[in-house]
Amino acid sequence: MDLKKGQTVHLTTGGMTCTVIEELGRGGQGTVYKVDLAGKKMALKWYHIPPDDKFYKNLQKNVDAGAPSDAFIWPEFLTVKENGSYGYVMKLRPSGYYEFGQYLLARHQMKSVSAILAAAMKICNGFKLLHRFGYSYQDLNDGNFFIRPEDGDVLICDNDNVFPQGEKSGIMGKARYMAPEIVAGGIPDKFSDRFSLTVILFMLIYLNHPLEGAKVAACPCMTEGNEKKFYGSEALFIYDKDDHSNLPVRGVHTNVIRRWPAFPQLLRDTFADQLSQQKLKNPQSRLIEQEWEKIIAKVRDSLVFCPKCRQETFVDSSSNTAKCMECGASFDITRRLALADRSIVLTPGTNVFIDMDNIVDMKIQTATNGEMMLQNVSNNSWSVETPSGKIRVVNVNDFLPARPGLKISFGSSIEGAPNAKAEVK
Amino acid sequence: MSLIDVESVPRRTMTLFFMADTSGSMAGNKIGALNDAITNILPMISEISNTNPDAEIKIAALQFSSGTSWLYDEPKNAEDFVWQEQKASGLTSLGEACCELEKVMHRNGFMKSASGSYAPAIILLSDGGATDNFDQGIEKLKTNNWFKAAIKIAIAIGDDADKDELKKFTGNLEAVIEVHNIEALKQIIRIVAVTSSQIGSKSTSATDTTKQDQVVEEIKQQIENVDGANTAADPAPAADDYWD
Repeated sequence: MDLKKGQTVHLTTGGMTCTVIEELGRGGQGTVYKVDLAGKKMALKWYHIPPDDKFYKNLQKNVDAGAPSDAFIWPEFLTVKENGSYGYVMKLRPSGYYEFGQYLLARHQMKSVSAILAAAMKICNGFKLLHRFGYSYQDLNDGNFFIRPEDGDVLICDNDNVFPQGEKSGIMGKARYMAPEIVAGGIPDKFSDRFSLTVILFMLIYLNHPLEGAKVAACPCMTEGNEKKFYGSEALFIYDKDDHSNLPVRGVHTNVIRRWPAFPQLLRDTFADQLSQQKLKNPQSRLIEQEWEKIIAKVRDSLVFCPKCRQETFVDSSSNTAKCMECGASFDITRRLALADRSIVLTPGTNVFIDMDNIVDMKIQTATNGEMMLQNVSNNSWSVETPSGKIRVVNVNDFLPARPGLKISFGSSIEGAPNAKAEVK
Repeated sequence: MSLIDVESVPRRTMTLFFMADTSGSMAGNKIGALNDAITNILPMISEISNTNPDAEIKIAALQFSSGTSWLYDEPKNAEDFVWQEQKASGLTSLGEACCELEKVMHRNGFMKSASGSYAPAIILLSDGGATDNFDQGIEKLKTNNWFKAAIKIAIAIGDDADKDELKKFTGNLEAVIEVHNIEALKQIIRIVAVTSSQIGSKSTSATDTTKQDQVVEEIKQQIENVDGANTAADPAPAADDYWD
């Protein structure tokens, strides 16, 4: 039963209520209303047909446990069962975020490659924490994400199917995003989440589906039988290393054809591995989100601003010189920051991210004499050891020169990487 | 060409077919409601298509009375589709309509699409029984592979609709929706068209049921709230005088 403007809905938390202000949207499962909850504007999802008791209890548990991270628009309150159904209250989606599908349809465009990578990082981080909390998402697809084009900030929605790992929510997922083992009739879990995550990351970066190449394009009618084949029993990555029968088609899969060679080798290798026949068939061998984060960090380490045209360009960090992908100018990339197994390319104007939180920790600028300077834009001071063993303190907003041999101890300045150390090379 | 420039992902086409009975018995409220309902759902279908990265939805419509005619000679995007007000007169050439549908459901007909298609969805609306050779038409149609794979829903308007024929068309009685009043007809046209258009882009709760079954299941849930509509598989109401 639909709710009416001004109608009061009772919550399970301490006799609280919320009041319906207006309808915001209508989906397959339910209607979302804007509501007033103790003076605060929130969103209420009200189910058309109330899901069963197990689902209700699970929602209450998730409400009690709280969101895994701020990326999730998480159920914050549950309503009592009334008016023939029930619902849950969550935060309103702020303006400036667009559904992932809008990017796929090119109705909105990410503003920069760093925004794309930030979005990839934030999605991985969200699912890392979700799985760490012991949940599986079960229904990961293009409809779950809202992304801000300027900085790639992500909001993850539709969290009502989140169930403890191993438990069945009743939902199988969406065609094209379901793991092959789910298409074949399996039960979604964190391993199938990881397949869906790989598909989402691939589509975010390359704007085409990783299993849709020549073979799939040649299929005139995608019947249910064909869906089971192309996304299940015969799923084949478009750039499979051994089988070239499903390569992207010129004029059809334009985005991936353009971007595949432009983005770093590390990404190509990782996707080819994750979508290899071996990994498609062995769910438990899929990459965990933390490893994905490290890969995205390394990809970001090789994204710099061209000193000439000031556009973003990827550079091959195994080389000492680079050629801008936009203007073709050659420039020097010998100067690096070595941090664990990362080799972060230092060029003027580039931002350095030490941990995975998408917050810039170091900015690279040029001094009046032309020397490259590293600015501390983290939360706390750094201590820097010179080649002769002297210790210098670099306070927040202060600089050190990008001179080989300087060793930086980040101390407590970077939340996600306590006591990280790096050396200028 | 910048690294961030992109174009839309290729989308498969899902064609939504309306087969509308415009025979004489549809005169009055019924044809009025049909005209009104389809005109009103076009913007909804357009919205579903425009926000759907999986499928682009196109519409084709065939009217049948003493003969048959397509409203347009190719499927059109919902925003380009202008529903021409239909008038009711003549007979019910449902058999011929089946043959016409069969004729266009080929890759060199209505099903040509650069990025391929999904199985179509076909909504048949009728308030009577065929006055021509229905069996011959449906038998021919049933050999068509696109038809076999299609989502098929029939809307039986009023008590005179031939539910056996509609059942032959959809393949089962569950997919025949009976409507008993004008308001229900309008609502059911909307529910059936919207549900069929959304089905490919929604999460599913099972991988072992067909899309047709999923659409029927969703429609069944939604028609519980509509007075004067039920699936033909539901038991008929008991006659008061018999049980009195």
